[in-house]
Amino acid sequence: MSLNAERVQLGYDGNTIIHELSVAIPMQQVTALIGPNGCGKSTFLKSLAGLLRPTLGRVTLNGRSLENWPRRELALEVAMLPQKPVAPEGIRVRELVEYGRFPYQSILRGASREDREVVAWAMQQTGVECYAEKPVQALSGGQQQRVWIAMAIAQQAKILLLDEPTTFLDWGHQLEVLELLTKLNLEQKLTVAMSLHDLNQAAQFADHVLVMEQGTLLASGAPENVIETGMLASVFNVDAEVKIRANGKPCCLAKGSMNRLRGPAWIKDVV
Amino acid sequence: MNKVGVTPAVCWMLLPLAIVLGLLLSLSFGASSLSIEQVFGALIGNGNEHGERVVWELRLPRAVLATVVGLHFALSGCMLQALSRNPLADPGVLGISAGASLLAVMLVVGASMLPIGTSFNLQGDQLLAWLPWGALAGGILAALGVYLLSGSARLTPLKLIVTGVVCAAVLNAIMTGVLALWGQAHTETLVAWLAGSLHGRDWHHLWVILPWTLVGLIGVVITLRPLGLLRLNDEQVLSLGLDLGRWRLLVLLVATLLAASAVAVAGPIGFVGLVVPHIARGLVPGNLPHQLGISALLGALLVLVADLAGRTLVVPFELPVGVLCALIGVPAFLYLLKQQP
Repeated sequence: MSLNAERVQLGYDGNTIIHELSVAIPMQQVTALIGPNGCGKSTFLKSLAGLLRPTLGRVTLNGRSLENWPRRELALEVAMLPQKPVAPEGIRVRELVEYGRFPYQSILRGASREDREVVAWAMQQTGVECYAEKPVQALSGGQQQRVWIAMAIAQQAKILLLDEPTTFLDWGHQLEVLELLTKLNLEQKLTVAMSLHDLNQAAQFADHVLVMEQGTLLASGAPENVIETGMLASVFNVDAEVKIRANGKPCCLAKGSMNRLRGPAWIKDVV
Repeated sequence: MNKVGVTPAVCWMLLPLAIVLGLLLSLSFGASSLSIEQVFGALIGNGNEHGERVVWELRLPRAVLATVVGLHFALSGCMLQALSRNPLADPGVLGISAGASLLAVMLVVGASMLPIGTSFNLQGDQLLAWLPWGALAGGILAALGVYLLSGSARLTPLKLIVTGVVCAAVLNAIMTGVLALWGQAHTETLVAWLAGSLHGRDWHHLWVILPWTLVGLIGVVITLRPLGLLRLNDEQVLSLGLDLGRWRLLVLLVATLLAASAVAVAGPIGFVGLVVPHIARGLVPGNLPHQLGISALLGALLVLVADLAGRTLVVPFELPVGVLCALIGVPAFLYLLKQQP
């Protein structure tokens, strides 16, 4: 399998956000997409999921351009969890997770035994089976996020794309979600690609890190090769110290923003 | 969590019973009341001539039509609310009823002004035979117009609603203008029709709407699964493999056919399509198939009861069913709204 972006240009309504980006998503690995706000992470993920058509270049899955994939067949290969999913009012957890089986069903053929087994498996993997009959809206943010992941993995696609899956979660729940994703990656050989804001989490959980800035790919590779002080200064504008932890993964400690050193007017005022 | 929720099974059992009861009462009560024995006698062809005439020619077609019309409006509203992810959507808000009304009115007014129309000499109830076709075409045209103006395949649910509201306002304004300028000869008939009325409806009208009931129900079955998904956001719908543009159009089309065909025989009865799906959501939160089914039954019951009330409250006059639907439906709606946290 392969999922590649080949010299893609992406944007909305004539507004170009990404210019000539070429990336190969490593299969059966966890890839973290990092970069400052507005660098095009979400846009790029959308194009990988076939939700946004490149204005130039192409995204290919197994060598075939995504535009030539019938939606339903694509859904069997790639699942996407957007940043702000919407649950219909009053819907129960089980009903929502069952939607993940939609690509396997037809208008008249309802849920098969296999569908029900997969739904049960997905809820068990994500630890939401105890809420199965509860309305989704009654759950906490962390629980809801696990329900959305249950729905996405019930789709049984080989590639799972997630747009900032840890946003709006507290520290503990962030780690839970990331541990769940790495577990699925190890046990199910699931390819995971997600955008993350926390660099230390990217370093700890990803096999591969892509650094984006203003719509271009700045660096890519193993976290220990990519996350270093120079990159942090130029991309994030942060003066940071990078330590290597016992497990060989890098760990960043911010000393302050670069503006502090350069000293723009407003900082001087404060100091 | 919604505390009004009851098990769907209870609704599925009680509502059909209530509808059967409503039908019997509708056959019994009216300008001349019949006892339940007389009604049963007439139904099995064992009553007196007067009773059989009243039941078979006047009350039965009208009562059945009331349930069918209610089912149409409620199903249409339920589908449109799911489609637009907006609890305020209904055939009226989206301009479907306005389009249907406008073309029906223009047809009636035009027919009496053109030489070809005057030769038919359409008067009073005769006009009702003409209205259905104009209304059906008008509803479909309005829905297509709203669909195209809100961006066709690239529409967003919010754009659809806003465009619908604007189109409905414009179409209603044009209709009022047409009525004011050229409607004098038919004002009485048309105003009663526009309020939503089942007065003078017979088997003929039932035959006009029933084929669309069949088409609509088949449409609901076909769009049931995709419609459930359409309540999620666009990105989720697409990544689950649903062809968003195509299914949205199909759902809109089915909802339009249901609403326009109901407007065609009974006029633009308001509130049913808005209020009933909301009540159904309160009864069975979340589950769309149950919501659609219970909406259909509730809609049928509401219009049936409203028509019965309209015929019997101010004898010998009749209140249009649209007026009664609002008078009964809206307090029920407000009560439920208050129950919700």
